[in-house]
Amino acid sequence: MTEQEFSLPQSATRPVGDTELASLVSQAKLATLGMLLAGVAHEINTPLGAINSNHDVLRRAMSKLQDILADEVVDEDELEEVRRIVRALDAILRVNDIAVERMATLVGSLRSFGRLDRAPIDWADLHEGIDSTLAILGHETRAVTVERRFGVLPPVRCHPDQLNQVWMNLILNAAQAMPDGGALTIETEHHDDRVRLVFGDEGCGIPAAAQAQIFEGGFTTKQRRIGMGLGLLISRRIVEHHRGIIAVESEPGSGSRFTVTLPVSGP
Amino acid sequence: MEDKGQGLVFVVDDEEMVALAIQSFLQLDTDYGVRTFTSPAAALEVVELERPGVIIADFMMPGMDGITFLRHCRDVDPFGTRILLTGYAGKENAIRAINEAGLYYYLEKPWSNDHLKLVVRNGMERSALFNELDTRIAALEDANQELEDLRRRLIAAFL
Repeated sequence: MTEQEFSLPQSATRPVGDTELASLVSQAKLATLGMLLAGVAHEINTPLGAINSNHDVLRRAMSKLQDILADEVVDEDELEEVRRIVRALDAILRVNDIAVERMATLVGSLRSFGRLDRAPIDWADLHEGIDSTLAILGHETRAVTVERRFGVLPPVRCHPDQLNQVWMNLILNAAQAMPDGGALTIETEHHDDRVRLVFGDEGCGIPAAAQAQIFEGGFTTKQRRIGMGLGLLISRRIVEHHRGIIAVESEPGSGSRFTVTLPVSGP
Repeated sequence: MEDKGQGLVFVVDDEEMVALAIQSFLQLDTDYGVRTFTSPAAALEVVELERPGVIIADFMMPGMDGITFLRHCRDVDPFGTRILLTGYAGKENAIRAINEAGLYYYLEKPWSNDHLKLVVRNGMERSALFNELDTRIAALEDANQELEDLRRRLIAAFL
């Protein structure tokens, strides 16, 4: 991409009222909330299932050990049984480590995604926002291989929760364009007073005629979902509110690349 | 009689923690051998050689879903017992699993270890019985063939 394409247009920003934007963002949040909750519930279910099983194994192991120790003498067979129990305990400790860490990361990501503890406008690490968005979308992006090609980004002044909404829309779209798997590549770079984030997928692509419409709202190819066709419109509004631009390049059959360019100094 | 692998369980889940939790439990509480796989393709490579009596597979796995995996397992070893262990696969997929992969049991996560043990034990017995039946039928066919040969020779000798 050339330096010219990387620069921001001076007057492309369409004025979007804060109230209007906030209302669109909350609409989109509501529309995706149910899906997100189902996904997060599924993501928590896995480590929970492992810990639940391990807790039961602990109880059984304890009871076996108590039985063995109830005898005055511990014979060779019982000693072998103790070794077997210790091996099982060792394995469940390792699993619990992984499971607890997974749940802690998920909860941390939810907190970070919702920005419950931060000012609405803040100097934020965009990578953190992308990572927490990816974490809570783990269920939706399961079939997809995510490749992070993160550069070094400075803190960017922004509404972090709004930008997270943009990352969520772009990541979800990419995942839904590749139901049978493929690579989602997220590239970030910093150039002077701007940052650029590129979300590239290997999905079905967008026909040239549709590329102009997708940011206008009401455009969707997805069925049976409430609130569809708003994701990219909202994303565009949010990006423009941050005095940035969002653009797409796509070749039907070989995937799409969404590029978001933002000024570091924010809205 | 070939009984290799009759006490062997394969656990296939892309989430290693699930596979390891089940392995720990079965190793503590049963005498079955347990092998875990996080990739269905890797499990398929050895399924023919090791002929596990019971295969437990997750449904949603990258690369190959659990039903497709179990269907391949059935092609390789029709007598093995196939169990789907899943968070939520939906009714359509449950039906698909039964019809396409000859599913023996559909277990939901989170699972109860007691229930899992019961299902695995019954599944293991079922596979052993199928294998035994197959061996007996083969022996019966051999005996039949022998008898037939004998009859022919007798007839040939006396005619």
